[in-house]
Amino acid sequence: MLAIKRTRRLDPDPAFAATFRALAPRLPGSADAALARVRAEGFERFAALGIPTRRDEAWKFTDVARIANRPMRPAAPVELPLERVLPYLLGGPRARRLVFVDGRLQPQWSHTGGLPEGVIVESLARAAETRPVALAEALAGLDDGRSFTALNAAFADSGAWIELPAGVVLDAPLQLLFVATGGEPPVMSHPRCILRLGDGASLSLLETHVGLGEGAALGNAVLQLALGPGARLEHDRLELLGPASALLAKLDGSLAAGARYRQTTVVLGGALVRNEHEVRIDGPGVECLLSGVAVPSRGEEADTFVRIHHRAGGSHSDQFFKSVVEAGGHNAFAGKIIVHKGAQKTNAYQKNDNLLLSDDSEVDTKPELEIYADDVKCSHGATCGELDAAALFYLRARGIGAETARALLIHAFAAEVIGRLGDPTARALAEQRLLARLGGGLDPALAASVIGEAA
Amino acid sequence: MLTIENLEVSVEGKPILKGLSLTVEAGRVHAIMGPNGSGKSTLAHVLAGREGYEVTGGSVRFGEEDLLAMEPEERAQAGLFLAMQYPVEIPGVANMYFLRQAINAIRKARGQDEIPAAEFMRKVREQAKLLGIGEELLKRDLNAGFSGGEKKRNEILQMAMLEPRLCILDETDSGLDIDALRTVADGVNRLRSPERAFLVITHYQRLLDYIVPDVVHVMADGRIRRSGGPELARELEERGYEGLLGTRLAA
Repeated sequence: MLAIKRTRRLDPDPAFAATFRALAPRLPGSADAALARVRAEGFERFAALGIPTRRDEAWKFTDVARIANRPMRPAAPVELPLERVLPYLLGGPRARRLVFVDGRLQPQWSHTGGLPEGVIVESLARAAETRPVALAEALAGLDDGRSFTALNAAFADSGAWIELPAGVVLDAPLQLLFVATGGEPPVMSHPRCILRLGDGASLSLLETHVGLGEGAALGNAVLQLALGPGARLEHDRLELLGPASALLAKLDGSLAAGARYRQTTVVLGGALVRNEHEVRIDGPGVECLLSGVAVPSRGEEADTFVRIHHRAGGSHSDQFFKSVVEAGGHNAFAGKIIVHKGAQKTNAYQKNDNLLLSDDSEVDTKPELEIYADDVKCSHGATCGELDAAALFYLRARGIGAETARALLIHAFAAEVIGRLGDPTARALAEQRLLARLGGGLDPALAASVIGEAA
Repeated sequence: MLTIENLEVSVEGKPILKGLSLTVEAGRVHAIMGPNGSGKSTLAHVLAGREGYEVTGGSVRFGEEDLLAMEPEERAQAGLFLAMQYPVEIPGVANMYFLRQAINAIRKARGQDEIPAAEFMRKVREQAKLLGIGEELLKRDLNAGFSGGEKKRNEILQMAMLEPRLCILDETDSGLDIDALRTVADGVNRLRSPERAFLVITHYQRLLDYIVPDVVHVMADGRIRRSGGPELARELEERGYEGLLGTRLAA
């Protein structure tokens, strides 16, 4: 552990190199020389960058090496019965989806039929066959100095290539569902998604990461977004992992003038769930709203890392992240707004609110602003508090038991973010999981029925 | 129904109630009047079970039970209701959902089935209408952004829905204009019954013009100093606390 504290990077476990050598000939697109080269370069880059330690400023709050720097096995085919996956199929009857289990496409549960002309929705393995050069360019095109991004380029096994041409509005949601079964050694998967929306195109994307069972698994996901002028993306992310599973998710986005990107991430479970966002705003009139809530407990860690670059003026960004931390959980948030020179009339806000519910829990928060323009409106703030004693008493004084009263108040705190999920089925699943986590016997159906009747 | 004997309560080591005794019978309305700092609100909070009050002596029996040994929710389940002076705003908890949770928690504690959805809706609409609470307010989050008057009406709505046997009103008249006061008082009067008792805590005589009490107590310095009929409230209005009690009051 001393070594981890003293160096910024650790050498990767030798098992990574052995696995890469063995697996490279079988990875999607291995027959294509350009792709194979990009993968090999990705692995070299990973080996050179090493595994970050907490001495690395970007990984200050969580110890990723503990989870990620160990021998892991690549995915092998698994047969799951439908009922294990069924609760996670979101978006209603008209949704299209790609389902992956341990990094492999499950064609029996995936369907992308009936798409308008020019729309591309392909699994990564398929894209490696149909457009190897473009995929190689995309993989090589993102070098963010982050070792896990390089590792993903080397191993990319699942994920999707999604393109909407100008003007196409998909009225039914598209779900990307990543299921991990756990085990020992842990299974690793490396989803890479490339999503491009043409001028004025519009999509509702449901990204779901699910861990089944108690076993260990590592998801190392990279999502590259490019929104053209006036494009709209509603992006709901649910990360529901098992207690021994980890997810490292990197999102890299470019937003052109007038684009609107709304993302809501709900983290309910996972030994370590790290969500990194690097978003560049490249024109005026952009709206970028990032929200998230995490509820780590019992040794779980959730880590959110955000960089918003206002490279052009006249745009709006808003970060709104919350956490509820109890029973030895740990939440970290590090968010930065960078307003570049000349990006006047920028509005950029950032807020991180945390409920810290036990003495053995931990919250780290680091909101930052870097402003190189003089005519902007920016603010940031962070809070950390307990449940309101007056509110607890009020509920109990009406006959509601202490445990239920507590659950009601925590739910109220988290619901402010969950309510931002655009898709009702995603919202319902997040609600159900949250209430199950909180205990107190709250019944989501009761809430829905009362609200429904009152309406 | 409620028997308080020599109750002594301190807050952060400072004695507030100094040997208060009071008996409230079913079917009766007792008013407690007193100047600021006399301990009226402390009494209300201690009876409801709020934290931060140290009982250093005396006893409180609610029916056959030792009230002070009960958790706040157990007191509510046993039929005690405190209409609060400052109802708490709880954003994120829907008013209707909260009400139904409360009713069902109380019914469950009494071994009864949950209230059927249709019955709940019928009843809440009926009571809300009587109290001049619009549908829109019912759909909002609990007290969130409510005006002072709306909060007090919402307290009385909860009281009507939960059907307690002892209702404690803590300065329910504060911050109400005359129309709201009348609506709230009418709401309380509708709930008067031979099985139900009221403890109406107020600073001013005004509320007692609308909720006419059976017994009036005057409280000062942590004790009941005078008790009498409704005429005591009027005497108090004329002479003031100091004139009535014949002492200078510290507060």
